[in-house]
Amino acid sequence: MLEGNRDKILNRLKAAPQILPPAPPVIAPMPDEALGQEQMVEKFQNLLAAQTGVLHRVADKDGVLEKLTEIFQAEGITKALATTDETIADLNLPEWGKGNGFEITTHKDYANREDYKKAAFDVVQAGVTGADFAFAESGTLCMVAREDMPRLPSLAPIIHIAVLPLDRLVPTYDHMVRQVFDAGAPPSQVFFITGPSMTADIQATPFKGMHGPQKLYVILRES
Amino acid sequence: MKIRTQDYMAIAREQLKEPNARAVLDFFPVVLSLMRDAAYQSFADPAAAMQCSGAIRANAVARLPKLLEQFEAQAIKAGAKVVWAEDSQQANAYITDLAKKRGVQYVAKGKSMVTEEVGLNEALEKEGISAYETDLGEFITQLLKRPPFHIVGPALNVPVAEIRDIFLEKGVMTEPTDDPVELGLAARKYLRDKFHHLDMGVTGINMAVAETGTIINVENEGNIRMCKSSPKIQVSIMTLEKVVPTMAEAMMVMRNLTRSATGQMASAYASMDTGPKKAEEADGPEELHIIILDNGRSKVYTDPTYRQALQCIRCGACLNFCPIYRKVGGYSYGWAYSGPMGQVLSPMLLGLDKTRDLYHSCTLCKQCKTICPGGVEHPKILLTHRARNREQNVPFHGAGVSPVIEARYRGFAAAALRPAVWNTMVRVVRTTLNQSKQGSMIKELFGKPQGWFATRDLPPIGRPTFGQWYKEYKKHK
Repeated sequence: MLEGNRDKILNRLKAAPQILPPAPPVIAPMPDEALGQEQMVEKFQNLLAAQTGVLHRVADKDGVLEKLTEIFQAEGITKALATTDETIADLNLPEWGKGNGFEITTHKDYANREDYKKAAFDVVQAGVTGADFAFAESGTLCMVAREDMPRLPSLAPIIHIAVLPLDRLVPTYDHMVRQVFDAGAPPSQVFFITGPSMTADIQATPFKGMHGPQKLYVILRES
Repeated sequence: MKIRTQDYMAIAREQLKEPNARAVLDFFPVVLSLMRDAAYQSFADPAAAMQCSGAIRANAVARLPKLLEQFEAQAIKAGAKVVWAEDSQQANAYITDLAKKRGVQYVAKGKSMVTEEVGLNEALEKEGISAYETDLGEFITQLLKRPPFHIVGPALNVPVAEIRDIFLEKGVMTEPTDDPVELGLAARKYLRDKFHHLDMGVTGINMAVAETGTIINVENEGNIRMCKSSPKIQVSIMTLEKVVPTMAEAMMVMRNLTRSATGQMASAYASMDTGPKKAEEADGPEELHIIILDNGRSKVYTDPTYRQALQCIRCGACLNFCPIYRKVGGYSYGWAYSGPMGQVLSPMLLGLDKTRDLYHSCTLCKQCKTICPGGVEHPKILLTHRARNREQNVPFHGAGVSPVIEARYRGFAAAALRPAVWNTMVRVVRTTLNQSKQGSMIKELFGKPQGWFATRDLPPIGRPTFGQWYKEYKKHK
């Protein structure tokens, strides 16, 4: 049905009068490139807070687990779906959960896609993920989809908790582009998260949690 | 969507009297404009950042065929299926055929202007496949069978009571509420089930990156991410101008897009897909279909003046700054595209003969051009629409003007080009005209505030006129 369209459309475009392309624009660096690490943390935290996100800064693995316990208890979370990416792999969350009365599963615990989706949509109250990058320029988390970083844990549950290693906080998106896209063979998906899901579509009344998480916690891990 | 561009004046008159439209239009565009200006201050040089975005788009459009070929090759290399559709009918047929072949019962859609343009929902429904709009505003307008009121807030003008009633009627909720947040959460609950069991998600595309074959979507609600994460089949449709050369340039356009659209430094979500999911990944689409739609754009591309319209990034900032949109609202434009964006694009795609009031409804204040991150010069294109309509332009279906109007303007031009004739006429009509003065302005002629005077006032003709005064001045100098 659509055979031949490609060449017909492209030939029409190619037959159009050629207007010399303007020189490729020079993209001025964002002012955030000049920020030091503590300035980046401060800016990231402020922008995250503006979107109702909460940042907790901890020193190490024990600090992360302690903060997770606090958040789980405060939010009444009993079941969570975690990723298995290297940022949080050493936390061994399923084991930690067993010792603390929480049921933590990963996508690898489910026999098939449907069971995994059922857990993400209907069973767990939170998703716990690592973060591959964070950008000071806009208070944004960035994840690269892969086997150990599925998409739904940061999207389907009502609460999202992300563990961010301090050295993954970079000034701008451009750092991610250089590392992820310029290297060739891009991943199936890269996604940015800037605060919880939101809308203001009814009478311009804003609220969080339209389709994705209503709350976003970021645990910034120094080591 | 029924195209009603020829009803522009009638709808605009209704909307001018509609209290909900007035309440939103007097407030929302102003707030969004201020938020946009504030967000741009995060650039070291806001004007340079906007110009850079425009230059990226101009460069991309100039190299369009080459970039499309590059994008297609990279997307296929990553495992996507890329198809090209000449028009709405072909695009809709591809999606409905695919849905039928895969046994899909319903599809969920992310907000996209292009699927409004092609009328995808209606095409799917005709084949017995339900289509759920999942952006909250689009969901409401779909239930109410209305066009979007604003590109960013499609249902902002709909009163809470009307949303409550339609949600109850359609079974979105069972208990009535007038709380906007509760209504939103009811829609969340209703659509969540659709996302969970979704087999096919349909999205538009904000940008397609040539060097990597990546498609990018920007959103706040998470519904587009749902459409890309939950189902096994993802169909993403783009009009052919959406391509940009590099990922670095895409990031720069995206920074401008979010600031211009909603005054945000970043939207809640941006997702960038290069091919379907890998075999070992737990979620994401197993099949990614990308439809590149022409629907009249290659004809637009052949026209050096019109080509610039393809630089638009659909941020909608021009709506918020337009004094006409702020009065008549989105319904008046009669199709998917409203405001200056629609006034520029709809006549090219639908024909100058079917959209006459759109391109005449402009004060040429140039605000749209000043704030456009796509570098589109809307006023220049609108004036070209007017001229081409008069010239009965064939490719874009110019209809010409009535002989009476033609004669009137020819007479006016003949007089205006001859100072002696013009000055004599001015002296002749001055007494009559100035008798109609009300306050400091002439607001009607022969007791009738109609025609030219329906929307304008005229200062009284001076006595002496400037010409007479200048002649005297030179005499005494």
